[in-house]
Amino acid sequence: MYVYRIMLFLVFGGYLLSPLLMSGWASPEASWYRPFLIWAGLIALTLWLEQKRKLDERR
Amino acid sequence: MTAMSLNLPGLLMLGIGYLSLLFLSATAVDRGWLPRRLVRHPAVYILALGVYASAWAVYGSLEFASRYGFGYLAYYLGVAGAFLLAPVLLVPIQRMTRTHQLASLADLFAFRFRSRWVGTLMTVVSLLAVLPLLALQIQTMGQAIHRLSGSASPALLALGFSLLIALFAMLFGARHTHQHARHDGLLAAIALESLVKLAAMLALGGVALFGVFNGPADLQSWLDGAGHVSQTRIAQLDPGQWRTLLLLFFAAAFLMPHMFHIAFAETLDRRTLLQSSWALPLFLLLMALPIPLILWASQRLGVDEVGAGAAYLAFGLSTSWWVDGLAFIAGLAAASGTMIIISLALSGMMLNHMVLVAHPPIAQPDLYRWLRWLRRGLIAAVILAGWLFYRLVGVHHDLSALGLASFVGVAQCLPGMLALLYWPGANRKGMVSGLSVGVVIWLAGLWVPLLTPYPGLVLLPPGLDVLAGEPDWYSVTLVALAANILTFILVSLATQTSTGERAAAEACSVDAVVRPMRLPLAAANGAEFKQQLAGVLGADVAGREVERALTALEMSPLDARPYALRRLRDRIQANLSGLMGPSVAQDIVDRCLPYQHDGPVASEDIHFVENRLEAYRSRLTGLARELDSLRRYHRRTLTRLPIGLCAFGEDGELLMWNDALAELSGIAGEAVLGAHRETLPAPWNTLLGQILAAPQERLYKQPVSLAHGERFLTLHRAGLQGEQGEDGGHVILVEDHSEMKWLEDELIHAARLASIGQLATGVAHEIGNPITGISSLAQNLRYDTEDPALRETADQIQGLTDRVSQIVGSLVGFAHGGRHVTGAGFTATRMQEVTEEALHLIRLARSGDDIHYINRCAADQVVMGDAQRLQQVMLNLLGNARDASEAGAQVIIEAVPQAAYLHLSITDEGRGIDPEVRDHLFEPFTTTKPAGEGTGLGLPLVYSIIAEHDGHIDIESPPAGHAGGTRIHLWLPLYREGDEGPHEPDSDR
Repeated sequence: MYVYRIMLFLVFGGYLLSPLLMSGWASPEASWYRPFLIWAGLIALTLWLEQKRKLDERR
Repeated sequence: MTAMSLNLPGLLMLGIGYLSLLFLSATAVDRGWLPRRLVRHPAVYILALGVYASAWAVYGSLEFASRYGFGYLAYYLGVAGAFLLAPVLLVPIQRMTRTHQLASLADLFAFRFRSRWVGTLMTVVSLLAVLPLLALQIQTMGQAIHRLSGSASPALLALGFSLLIALFAMLFGARHTHQHARHDGLLAAIALESLVKLAAMLALGGVALFGVFNGPADLQSWLDGAGHVSQTRIAQLDPGQWRTLLLLFFAAAFLMPHMFHIAFAETLDRRTLLQSSWALPLFLLLMALPIPLILWASQRLGVDEVGAGAAYLAFGLSTSWWVDGLAFIAGLAAASGTMIIISLALSGMMLNHMVLVAHPPIAQPDLYRWLRWLRRGLIAAVILAGWLFYRLVGVHHDLSALGLASFVGVAQCLPGMLALLYWPGANRKGMVSGLSVGVVIWLAGLWVPLLTPYPGLVLLPPGLDVLAGEPDWYSVTLVALAANILTFILVSLATQTSTGERAAAEACSVDAVVRPMRLPLAAANGAEFKQQLAGVLGADVAGREVERALTALEMSPLDARPYALRRLRDRIQANLSGLMGPSVAQDIVDRCLPYQHDGPVASEDIHFVENRLEAYRSRLTGLARELDSLRRYHRRTLTRLPIGLCAFGEDGELLMWNDALAELSGIAGEAVLGAHRETLPAPWNTLLGQILAAPQERLYKQPVSLAHGERFLTLHRAGLQGEQGEDGGHVILVEDHSEMKWLEDELIHAARLASIGQLATGVAHEIGNPITGISSLAQNLRYDTEDPALRETADQIQGLTDRVSQIVGSLVGFAHGGRHVTGAGFTATRMQEVTEEALHLIRLARSGDDIHYINRCAADQVVMGDAQRLQQVMLNLLGNARDASEAGAQVIIEAVPQAAYLHLSITDEGRGIDPEVRDHLFEPFTTTKPAGEGTGLGLPLVYSIIAEHDGHIDIESPPAGHAGGTRIHLWLPLYREGDEGPHEPDSDR
């Protein structure tokens, strides 16, 4: 259940801060695949949290 | 540049071939040609959720990216955010929809806000909101056909494809009458569509990256060099617009009818839904990745964005027919999947909340068939409506305008949805007014302008002038949502909430304090349910629905427990809700299966609450979890209590039946929990009824016949009054006092013997002296007279005094029998000798000469005891045997060692003992002999002597295998080595 809170925090935090991220993506100096890398990182984090949640629920 | 590499017949063949593949795959799954493990694999569901990526994801995103750069990612990230929140957002919705069999957003809202009109309103809003999205799908199909083949009538061709898609949805989506059912074939086909569009998009991305550019490094150098100028021309979304877009697509993840349908109406399991929290974003990432590649490639190729339409840039990537074919198939797969699921979802909503509400299916002859065909008709109607909308809108609006109009409309349901989950205080009036205000602003600002040449009517309230000049979609979203939320909150706070709505709110709310109430039902069992439902549903459907619910609950049709019947009613309502929507289902169930409102006041359904808590346990945290642990501890204490315990609600419903009581009664708790007291198996119904009705709070040692014999139970009752003194039922403790009762009986018996002993001593003493006097006087009289008459009288007097002396002697003997201290003076005693000695004495008496005594005791059978007193025992028993026997009969004495005892038996062939007398034989003055012959003290004396020896005596009459006679069994402790040596019995006695 505590993992849920991390997810809530992550989503709302991400929502508020996402324009900052966006300006970073759009900067011409950045590699074109940077947004996708960040996104893939986020997916990996979710996957990890999902594993943690499973353990948490089993407890 | 317009590509003409694919001609019209080729295009039609491609499209029709692809749709045929869909039909084939769905048929293969429905016919069971594919292994079930594959069909039910979580990946199939997750790919089916990819239905979200509609034609917008293929064409609209390109258009958006050409305008706002990476802003196009909002479409994917919004929905990814919603799925990231699956455990707190989607799982609760899924739980609700599954419990109450709610197949759509309209069902959910109608259930929560307790009104059929709310369902109708939601259906209308959903239909209006989805029409632009449907039109977008059809428009992209038409435009793609037009661009690829140059066909002059793309609208008609798009209609043809739409009809094929409608046929598919009718065939595979309306297979089950119950909307909350798994359509394996349909899901597999949608999953296949997701795979196809993903593969096509990745291939297009590959063409762009490796065909147009020379790999990632070339792309980067182009972006840093020649492409830099075109990139700087792209506008950036301002943070407000970006966040608004994220919010819109976040809401779409669970409010769009097609997403709601796949995630909640098709029975996706909870684990799969949680897996999709990362798997769906991954799918969307792969779908989104090729978009900028295609855009940059066409920029490098110099494709005219304005002329070609930025949405269809993929057609300009190459002159090869297969690249165009890929772009066309990607769009067709995306559009057809979305159209199929939208039409299914909307047809269900329209059926439940428009058609059935206006025309309830009372006594429809073949209800299931009627519902199925109605649904198929509605599927076709929805797709045709989408096509008509496309014709009305024309191609004057870009895809972003169409898509956003749709998403903004759907987002108007977001406040209601969040309130449904997290605000039990929200009510219908608030929701309806908020939604209406929001929808009107949206219709005026975005929807109507699609159909008319006039610009949207965006009314900016004072203070929001900053929004002037912003895009319409942005201002309308903010204003409509703000007005919606404000109106919702204010009206909800200002108006009353009905009781029914409050109950539904609690059932829906995530942190609900669930307080289901108990009321008895009018129907007494499953069979009566069928009769009562038959009036509305028809006998056949009523029977099938009740059977379905009984099977799901694993209940017997004869189960009459009020608790079980309430669960059955809930299940039937949920199932009917899956069939006809919650409003109609509730109407039918309320009408046919009413509660008894004249019964006792409703109280909390503790058993149900406990079951739910058990199911929810893993979701409890903090204080709630600690409280739950405490509850479980107390529950365990009561369940494992070594004394029987049961609890009744104030309406007589059984709420608890612990392990000890289950063991004592032989009735498992699950079989009786929730039953009414009167329906419990005998003798518990009457016994527990007695204690509940008794004025005192205890009933001592009630005799009860149970499976394992007669028991004596003591019952204690305590009231469970609430804090305000209201009745809360009773708790009853059931103690098994049988052993104590038996011990008490023995004690009473022993005390009676002891008092008789005392009495006998006194009587013997008082009578002994006068009797001796009388005897002496009679003897004197006999010697003093010669008169034969007087001498005979004297003889008689002496005979009678002898008889009295004998009785007195027996009394003294009996009295002394109780005085021995157990074990004192006991020595090893050979029973054979004791028996022989007793037989010798018996034979001295003149009577009974013709009885044959057979002593089969062995010489080595030695017991621990007092030889003289044991001889007294044998004398008494053998004397009784002799007196009962006819001339020539046998009396057999046998002895067999049994564990630590010697088992002696004395068997005669006499007249036996009356069963009524047998139970009292060891009580003093009980005799089977004719009056004047027995004193009734012999056997009580024997009993007390045997008891002194730690032995045991029993009477068997007639003995097993004999027609008459009596067998006396004696058990005496065997002599053990190390005690005193064998004792010779006193031969003088």
